[in-house]
Amino acid sequence: MIIKKLALPRRTFLRGMGVTMALPLLDAMFPALTPMAAAAANPTKRLGFVYIPMGMNPVEWTPQVEGKITSLSPSLASLQPFLDQITVLTNTELKDMAYPTGNHAASNAIFLSAVRPKRTEGSDYELATTVDQIAAKQLGKETAIPSLELGTDLIAQTGNCDNGLACAYQNNLAWSSPTTPLPTEADPRVVFERLFGDGGTAQDRRSELRKNQSILDWVTKDMARLQKQVGASDRARVNEYVETVREVERRIQKAEQQTTGARLPDLERPSNVPDDWEEHVKLMFDLQVLAFQADITRVITFQMAREASTRTYPQIGINEAHHPISHHANLPDRLMRLAKINAYHVSLFAYLVGRLKATPDGDGTLLDHTTYLLGSGMGNPNVHDHTNLPAVLAGGRNGGRHLKWAEPIPLANVHLSLLEKMGIHQAKFGDSTGVIEALL
Amino acid sequence: MTLAYAGESMARRFRVWTFGALMAGCVAAVSLGIAPQAQSPAPREAINQYCVACHNTTLKTAGLTLDAANLDKAGENPAVWEKVVRKLRGRMMPPPGRPRPDETTYNNVIASLEKSLDAAAAANPNPGRTETFRRLNRSEYQNAIRDLLALDVDVTSMLPKDDASYGFDNVGVGGLSTTLLERYLAAAQKISRLAVGTPAHSTGVSVVTLPVDLTQEDHLEGLPLGTRGGTVVRYDFPLDGQYEFQVRLMRNRNENVEGLSEPHQMELSLDGAQLGVFTITPNRNASGGYYADEAVDRDLKVRIPVRSGPHAISATFIRKTSALQESERQPYDAHFNMDRHPRIQPAVYSISIGGPFDATGAGDLPSRKRIFVCNPLTPSNAAAEDRCARTILSTLARRAYRRPVTDEDLRVPLKFYKDARAEGNFDDGVEMALRAILTSPEFLFRVERDPANARPGQSYRISDLELASRLSFFLWSSIPDDELLNLATQGKLHEPAVQEQQVRRMMADSRSKSLVTDFAGQWLYLRNLAAVVPDARLFPDFDDNLRQAMRRETELFFENIVREDRSVIELLGADYTFLNERLARHYGIPNVYGSNFRKVTLGPDSVRGGLLGQASILTVTSYANRTSPVLRGKWVLENILGTPPPPPPGNVPPLGENPAVGRALTMRERMVQHRANPACSGCHQLMDPIGLSVENFDAVGRWRTRGEGDERVDATGALPSGVAFEGAAGLKKALLAHPESFATTVTEKLLTFAVGRGTDYYDAPAVRAITREARNTDYRFSSLILGVIKSAPFQMRRSQ
Repeated sequence: MIIKKLALPRRTFLRGMGVTMALPLLDAMFPALTPMAAAAANPTKRLGFVYIPMGMNPVEWTPQVEGKITSLSPSLASLQPFLDQITVLTNTELKDMAYPTGNHAASNAIFLSAVRPKRTEGSDYELATTVDQIAAKQLGKETAIPSLELGTDLIAQTGNCDNGLACAYQNNLAWSSPTTPLPTEADPRVVFERLFGDGGTAQDRRSELRKNQSILDWVTKDMARLQKQVGASDRARVNEYVETVREVERRIQKAEQQTTGARLPDLERPSNVPDDWEEHVKLMFDLQVLAFQADITRVITFQMAREASTRTYPQIGINEAHHPISHHANLPDRLMRLAKINAYHVSLFAYLVGRLKATPDGDGTLLDHTTYLLGSGMGNPNVHDHTNLPAVLAGGRNGGRHLKWAEPIPLANVHLSLLEKMGIHQAKFGDSTGVIEALL
Repeated sequence: MTLAYAGESMARRFRVWTFGALMAGCVAAVSLGIAPQAQSPAPREAINQYCVACHNTTLKTAGLTLDAANLDKAGENPAVWEKVVRKLRGRMMPPPGRPRPDETTYNNVIASLEKSLDAAAAANPNPGRTETFRRLNRSEYQNAIRDLLALDVDVTSMLPKDDASYGFDNVGVGGLSTTLLERYLAAAQKISRLAVGTPAHSTGVSVVTLPVDLTQEDHLEGLPLGTRGGTVVRYDFPLDGQYEFQVRLMRNRNENVEGLSEPHQMELSLDGAQLGVFTITPNRNASGGYYADEAVDRDLKVRIPVRSGPHAISATFIRKTSALQESERQPYDAHFNMDRHPRIQPAVYSISIGGPFDATGAGDLPSRKRIFVCNPLTPSNAAAEDRCARTILSTLARRAYRRPVTDEDLRVPLKFYKDARAEGNFDDGVEMALRAILTSPEFLFRVERDPANARPGQSYRISDLELASRLSFFLWSSIPDDELLNLATQGKLHEPAVQEQQVRRMMADSRSKSLVTDFAGQWLYLRNLAAVVPDARLFPDFDDNLRQAMRRETELFFENIVREDRSVIELLGADYTFLNERLARHYGIPNVYGSNFRKVTLGPDSVRGGLLGQASILTVTSYANRTSPVLRGKWVLENILGTPPPPPPGNVPPLGENPAVGRALTMRERMVQHRANPACSGCHQLMDPIGLSVENFDAVGRWRTRGEGDERVDATGALPSGVAFEGAAGLKKALLAHPESFATTVTEKLLTFAVGRGTDYYDAPAVRAITREARNTDYRFSSLILGVIKSAPFQMRRSQ
């Protein structure tokens, strides 16, 4: 409850400075964390996913020209300044993974897993390890926090979420195992504290980390004691707990190594959640840029809004809830409003892309060494389908393209290609049929 | 109850729809027509006559083969027959449009089936199996810290939110992610430091921000009379020392302070004692316009010494008579929106609490009193210190682990104590040991173990200590207190008389408020209200004051049933409610003045008695810009009738272009169009007629006679049983005609919350027994609570 001095410079979080605001300060802040010379030779690879709910209006979204392009479609227009680092993917799908019901929960769940979720409203939910978490297991070995799971919805919906599927499917994008959804965090202050700690000097922080180490050491032993007291299937559960404890121990070791030698920055913590949703989204993007820049994590998922969101966007003249608009019934008026929401969400993503581009990293910018996939697990929200999904890649140096397939290809091919690009070789992911050479 | 459906196999769910074609044939078969007979047929005959045409070995509609099933041995196949009972009780079968038995036949068949099912269950009870490991959820954790350490912390900023299953967030909490564990570690550190009163590494600032849509033109509940707007903040001060309070005012998007056209006075108080009165003066430029008035609230701050522990800080405006008159001329009650209905007077945006500066010590923290049950007499005497530390830690661990502690339990915490003591002082040692206890799986998880000698699948009575936790987490959403633990340790808690006496004691305790906030808050979806933001253009009068008032009405209403131990049927049919002026105006009920809530008796013609007339419920089941008969109908089916609609079909085709009628379709026309599609009609014919019957309530629960398209509201409706009625009053009457069905739903919801798992067919006999017994007391709340607690699912568990 008590907030300590540690904090980001307030201006870091001030809006309106836009994409031009560089953060040279931070380079000085993390000398031990980002060795520039090493970075230039072998740049750190980072991977991010941004989820937008309820698909899109394909007419306004899809660029008209295929292959090399010089201009983007109306919905994507805000990405135009970064076009040479943008790749639009058209005609990807998540086939045969959803059920007749519960399509909103499913869209969220299948986006990064590309498997059919087990149908249950109970705690026996089962999905698959999501693509970000496969990446995190590899890329996260080098960082204090393997991955960040962010969102903007603070209040967990109660009651039943979506017909036949547990709330966990709708609330969480990232799953570290088929039965472990990772909670989505929407409070910027909490995220900040995870990234930059609770305060005090580096020595205080190290001492805290050591105390946590010894507590966890004991917790492991306590678990072993518990394990002897329960039946066979419950023992499997305790094993999961022990794995969790081990993983957290490992992270703490990592954090301890990084605390040593690194000068703790004098940062001001964000004190609360902005009232304005757009401010909130941008703040969450700022935190992502900081986390990448300081190399605290290399994998991030961000749920910009939750599936079946009934958020309204009066700031762009949309006073009707997103969900009913998305059931557009092919009415021109509603389709236009859907496109307007799409364009708005993309413009916020463009804010992130701009920030990444404005942040120096190694021999180039953060955007050069980061790949973000912006997309949705739903294609046409009117019929709740999962084909012709919105999918845009930002980052790297090979952009300015519109890749379009005549027949739908699995979105999992994109995921598999992203893993390959991160240096993670895997024969298959979800329902993938192969990597996309053009993306490597 | 949702579980009967969730428990179905996937295949069966699909079958409901893929057998559509066969069902069409089935319709033909039935429509040959079987005239109702003069005399009630025997159950077997009735089933042959009304059910078997579809549910037979050839068609297997919905996977049911009722022709082959032995009715006399229904108890041997409860999974199927409980489902049949549910369908019949809800009069959902035979489906509308098919020949139906008369009421006597319905009741005979149900009675016969239930008799067989109950007898089988009594002979061989299946209490179900609550999961072995259940993590404390966020509210349980917060309450446990409160009861363990006398410390109020806001855990929403420390722990991630929990996912709900079966409607409650204490179900399905077996998992432990790395994120969660990291948060538990961080929370334990923070909490142990606050509880012991260890100075923080540095001073900090806490900021409490008010909702932007809070209207502050009038008196607000909890603040002194003669004031308007502002807020009171309850805050646990960690140390004795100097603290600085700073107030910021609401600004509009041009960074001007809203509503500041003349000087206003603000009062800042601590525990009701005035700290200072500030005059806030408008800041105008030469041309008379406002400009970014940075300086206006820069000096709204005060720095004073405060003793550690909980205190109330308030910042509020001294009320002006002239402003009151001015606001009376305004059309709206809501004033927060710069463009449409702006603030007339300035409002508080935030209070920040900075400090402590020059801290002088931990002082008399309530948490220290709770923790330090002894004091080492002479600091230099190591033996006395160790003895005291042991006393302190064994007291804490017993409450935290909710059982007697052994030497083995204390070994490691004592080692943590000693290590930290060696590097610091006595308090540091206790703090470190507390931090370890708060991270122990024994604290974080509720563990129910099968007895060592249990056979697989055996039903056994849970231990007295497990019972103590089940009781306290059910009724308090928190850990057991010493009295419960003592009785459990003595092995007396399972004795019926002792148990009933304890339940009554617990219900009378203020901690049972969790039944309102955690149980009712989730059952009735009240928690979702915080996320509701109606379209400001269509509902310009909606503000946070109204949102809070809606929630308060339902909470007070439910709490009144609990506290006065009234019949739960009043939840549907009460002739009273709880209102303040704001909500009364919203409802158009005269003569209720002021910000305080009070019980208001409603006239015989009032549309407001009972949950279905409460704006909270009507609002959470609406969209931002319109009502949703579908959401409302579904809410009633799930939460009142306990018969959630069957799942919708796959690949719903688009509704298609609106027919060229030259106008927008009315809600009812849209619903009719919806139901014209046979794929949709299955559930919509159950939901829509209920939802449409309350169309006289708009999306924020106001009464109206014209719908969103200005059409006259047609509020004819029907229940799944086919009973037709008119409007909200008709719905209420139809529901009240079957009080046992509502009581059953309440029982199922309570049982789910109590045992922390979804209920299943094998729980149905217990639910029936509880409801039947409760009927003798006209379904008093305590009779349901006691019934749930005495039931097999609560008292027993099935081994693995």
